[in-house]
Order: sequence, then structure tokens, then C-alpha cells
Amino acid sequence: MNNLKLAWRNLWRNRRRTLITSASVLFAVFFALLFRSLQLGSYDHMFRNAIESYTGYIQVQQKDFWDEKIVDNTFPYDRVQEQQLLADENVVAAVPRFESFALASNGPQTKGVLVMGIDPEKEASLSGVADKKVNYRLTAASIARISQDPSLPEKVKELAPKFENNAYTSASRLQLDLGIKDKDAVQYMPSIERYTKFENGSIHLGEPGVWVGDKLSEYLKLGLGDTIVLISQGYHATTAAGKYEIKGIVKLPLPDLDNKIVYLPLDICQELYNAENNLTSLALVVDDNQEKAIAETVERISTAVSGDQRIMEWREMNELIVSQMDADNKSGMIMIGILYLVIAFGVFGTVLMLTAERKREFGVLVAIGMQKRKLASIMTLEMFLIGMLGILAGALVGTILILYGVEHPLIFKGEMAKMWEEYGMEPKMVFWGIDTYYIWQMVIVALMVLLAIGYPIRKIFGMKVVNALRA
Amino acid sequence: MKSRKSTIILYLLLGSSLMIAAQDLSPTEIIRKADEKFNGEKTSTSIMAMTIVRPTWERTIEFKNWTSGKEYALTLITAPAKEKGQSFLKRQNEMWSWNPTISRLIKLPPSMMSQGWMGSDYTNDDILKESSVVNDYNHMIVGEEEYEGRLCYKIKMVAKEDAAVIWGHQVRWIDKKDFLFLKSELYDQDGYLVRTELGSEIKPMDGRLIPTRIELIPAEEENQKTIIEIKEIQFNEAMEDAFFSQQNMKRIR
Repeated sequence: MNNLKLAWRNLWRNRRRTLITSASVLFAVFFALLFRSLQLGSYDHMFRNAIESYTGYIQVQQKDFWDEKIVDNTFPYDRVQEQQLLADENVVAAVPRFESFALASNGPQTKGVLVMGIDPEKEASLSGVADKKVNYRLTAASIARISQDPSLPEKVKELAPKFENNAYTSASRLQLDLGIKDKDAVQYMPSIERYTKFENGSIHLGEPGVWVGDKLSEYLKLGLGDTIVLISQGYHATTAAGKYEIKGIVKLPLPDLDNKIVYLPLDICQELYNAENNLTSLALVVDDNQEKAIAETVERISTAVSGDQRIMEWREMNELIVSQMDADNKSGMIMIGILYLVIAFGVFGTVLMLTAERKREFGVLVAIGMQKRKLASIMTLEMFLIGMLGILAGALVGTILILYGVEHPLIFKGEMAKMWEEYGMEPKMVFWGIDTYYIWQMVIVALMVLLAIGYPIRKIFGMKVVNALRA
Repeated sequence: MKSRKSTIILYLLLGSSLMIAAQDLSPTEIIRKADEKFNGEKTSTSIMAMTIVRPTWERTIEFKNWTSGKEYALTLITAPAKEKGQSFLKRQNEMWSWNPTISRLIKLPPSMMSQGWMGSDYTNDDILKESSVVNDYNHMIVGEEEYEGRLCYKIKMVAKEDAAVIWGHQVRWIDKKDFLFLKSELYDQDGYLVRTELGSEIKPMDGRLIPTRIELIPAEEENQKTIIEIKEIQFNEAMEDAFFSQQNMKRIR
């Protein structure tokens, strides 16, 4: 107890030294946490984008569909089976889909596209395409109206032409690109929203009409009300050809999908491909998406599928992203390793100086009769307290920032955003909330402090009192 | 006496000349005769049904076909209802397809010539007869064989160096009496059998005897074939070249 008291007093005898040392630990914990949080958050975000906007966590398919994605490998949409699947405790919704490829054309512009027949209402519970409709667009006309409005600041007028033809699903993203601060939003946004409003329609079962991706519409030079022509091969080698009115334009977060997607109402799509009542997949929305829960769900519903069907999990369906992420995770670990190394030397350097500074003090203490063992244990306690202080403070500061980051992800704008999109990523960095990785970061930093303690202990035991007194 | 002798000589002469005629028929001549017999010396108009047979399903497409020489061809789908009205036109080396559902006229690139027509085992090239069995191959008689009780010439056709054809060589069995393609084996450039065509149900059509059922069996695919049945055919009706026009593709019924 005495030792602890002495250590505590020692700490606050030289406040600056204590604070500097614990600050180095603080930064170590802080950066390690932040780095890991961003990394984990971004993976999760990418996964969610891919899974939730496209595959879903579990799908029922015809057994050969995944290996050969042709419309002949489909299965009839069976409502009884759908009810059986929905009866499972973890299955929230079943989303029927008919996917295929087609050649889309408008005059001389032609492009291979991904055609997705969907039930727009059911799709809301999985990919939520309806929420991805373009609501605002900076057309040449709307930019002209912005620049003519005297009430808008010059900065907005300058920025607007840079984003000509950009489409926005939300006003907040538009606000970000136009450089309007939150506090000014009330003043400027209503008129800007009015100028850039994009009147998007809906698609419904039974009504011919399509939604196309924003980038695709740009490529094919198609707008609302225009006609898109689709040609493909249908069920049992029939000719699939149709022309449809564009009812709406959607902007998907995955640019790779955005430049080739065409959504059709499910029944219209089945008619186009002469596919009767067939589906390529029935995607299941689950309540608990933890890996264990999904595996259990798959196990349970396996009785509800026929021998002609198979169940696929998100991991199998997103193999590319999974392996990409594994590779990225490894390189992230190397990065974090380097970060630890830098931090470790920082902490060690501070401890080294601290020891050198107190050499004379140690010498005097031993000379007047203090046992080296006692001195070493006081020193260890001191370092332990400094370490604890740094780790807790670092975790606290990190947590505040991470919690804020979880609510407000980093969204890039302008050129930077374009660059990210060209790489096929959403220009967004997401933080991962408090989780087990916290413990690991703190344990690793604590180990570094422990290693650093070794130095002063060695010094104390190896000390020649006469030399130390002269220091 | 004299007259009897001369009659014998005449018979002898006639007989030998006939024999010479038959022996002298070059393999190219045989192929030409068989080809003209089936496709018409000048033009042909036909109604056909094509059945595509696959391991798990089959379906039938009906169509009308007009041809004039090797240069012009027009095909119109008449059934099933969903595909009715689609037409295909060939003029010299160019080919188009018309789809009334989307009101689009599409030019078929040469690269699509070897692809299946309407999902069948027939290639676009087969339907539109881009290449000629007479002009694009060197022919040689390799023997005589009996096929389905009919004595046939067995002729090997090797593609000419500069010919734009998709086969390396073909072996055809041609009926000696009536010049009918009864069996054909088509090989690729590496000499592998790609498909076999069998002619059967030989019937008189528009005054000539032709096989009215042609079965096409791909070598590599199991339980898969395409059957063409000729329901009606007229040969050498008068037909203007102007009939084979893009305008007519859209109009024709």
C-alpha cells in the first residue's frame, strides 16, 4: 500500500513528465482504435451494400442457376413454398426475382445490361430500390436557375456547374456538393431543391415500364418518358424483345451496378422472357444476420426446398468481395502493425528519457538505504498507472470520435468522390461501433507499456550507486 | 436387216453414252444437281416447321421461306404467336433481322453466322445459305454406299482455302438415282465431327422427289437435335429481286 502511495505521489511530483508519457500511450490507443474502426466499418459497409442492394443473405435458386445463369435454369414461383419459407422464425420476407441479361438500345447506342424483374413492394424490404430513386439533378437548366437567383451565395453558383448532370437521391448529398453549411441549409436549400427537383415515377406489377440506373441512362442518352429497347434470348430459346417506357431513374450506391441495371416489374419481365411464372431466385430477408444464425436458418429451411433447388448463402454469392476483403484485411493488419511499431518506439523513447532524467534520484534513494527491489516495484507501479491513464484516456477520446463517426460517416465530395466511384466504391468511410476489437487494441498497447517497463527495471538493478550519484 | 442392225448399234450407242454420262458425272456436278434439286434451280418458296429438341423440353417454330438463287433469301416466322412476324433477310453477303415487337431492323454481323438460329442447332449460315456447297468446296467421290436401302454416292467435300465457311470438310451421301442429300456429316477444321444431318420421308413435292424431313444431330450434345419438316414447297416460281427488300421484310405476311 505504501508503494502505491509513493508511486502516486511520484507521478504528480513531476506533472509534466507524467502527462507527456501518458499522452504517448493515449495517442497509441487512440490511433489504433480509430484505424481499426474505419477498417472494420468500411468492410461492413461494402458488404452491406453488396448484400443488401443485390444478393440478400440467403437465396433459393434452381440448382444449376449459379453455375450457368441462363433463364432456362429457373423454377416456378410457388406460393405454398414461399409460405413455408416465411414460417421460419428468422425469415422476415421473401423477395421474388427474375434476373437476366439483355442488350439495351436507344437508337445507335447499345449496351449489355442486367435485367432484374422485381416486385417493387416486396423489394422494399431488401434492396429498397424505391429509396434509391433520383430526386434531384443538376441539369444545365437548373444550374442556370441557380446562377440567376440573387439570394444564393456566390460559392454555390461557382460550385454548381462542376457537378453538372450529377444525380442525387437525397438533398443532404446535394447540399454537401454545393458547399452549403448545415446552418445555412434552411435559408438556401428550399429554393435549390425546387430548381433541381427531378420528378421520378414508379413501376408497379402489371404495368409495363422500367427503372434504369443513372449511369446507364446517361450512357444510352435516355430520360424519363423515353423508350428503351431490350433484346435477349428468352425461356427455351425463344426471342425476348420488348420496348418499355422509362418511368424512373435510380442511383445505386455500387457504380458497377448503376451503369448496367434495368428494373422491370416481375410479371412484365417474365412475359418478356416467355418464362411463364418462373423465378431465378427467391431472396430471403433475415432478422438476425450473424453467421451462426444464418447457418441455422439455412439448416431449418432446407426441408422446404425441392431437389431441383438449392440454398445459397451470401458468402458463396459474394465470393469476389469476400476474397477482396480478406486481402484488404491482411494489408490492413500490416499497416496497423507498422503503426504499433511507431507507437512502441514513441512510448519506449519517453520511458528512456524518464529513466535517464531520474538516474540521480534513484542513486540517492538507494544510497540512503532504499532497497532496489522496492524501488523497482514503485517504478513498475508508476509505469502501470501512467499506462492505465493513457489507455483509458485514449479509449475515451477514441470512443467519443468513433461514436460521432458512426452517426456521421465521412462522405467525400467532388473530385475525390468521383475517383472513389471510378474504383467501384461508394465515396463513404464508415466507422465501426464499440466492439471486441477495442479490447485487442488496449491489450496490445498495455503489452507495449509492459515491455517498456523492462528498461528502467534493468537500469535500477544494474545501477552503480556511486556513478548514479554523480549523474 | 439393215434397219435391225442399225437399231442395235443405236441401242448400243445410246446405252454406252448413258453409261458414259453417268460415269462422267463429276462429283461437283453431283453436288450441284442435288443442291439444285433441293433448293430449286432459280427460286423456291416453302413452308416449314422446325422442332428444337432438348433434354428437358422441346418446341416448334413454323416459318415461310423464299429464296432466289444463292443471292437472296427471306424467312418469316409464322408461329408461335409471340414470335410471329419476325423476319430475316439475306442480300448477297449482308443479313438483317426484323423484329416487329420492337420495330427494329438489326444487321447481323458476320461473327454471328455460326450462332444458332432461333435457338436451334441450325446456324444463321445454314438458314441464310451464305456459303455454297458447290462453289466453296473441292469435291471427290470416295465410294458408293447404301443408305436406308438406297444406293448413294459418298462424296467428300473439302473447304477451299479462301472460302468463308465454318466447316473444314463434309461427307455427303447422295442418292444415285434421284440426287437427294440423304446423309451428311459435317466436320470442323480440326477434323472432328460436329454434326450429322439425316434426310428422310422422301416424298414428291411440286413434281420432284425430295426428303421432307431433315434431322440435325449435333455430335457433342446428348439428347439434342433439331428437326425440319417441309410442309409445302414450290420451285422456280417467278420472283423479282426487289421482293428481297428491307421494306418487304416488314410488310410480308
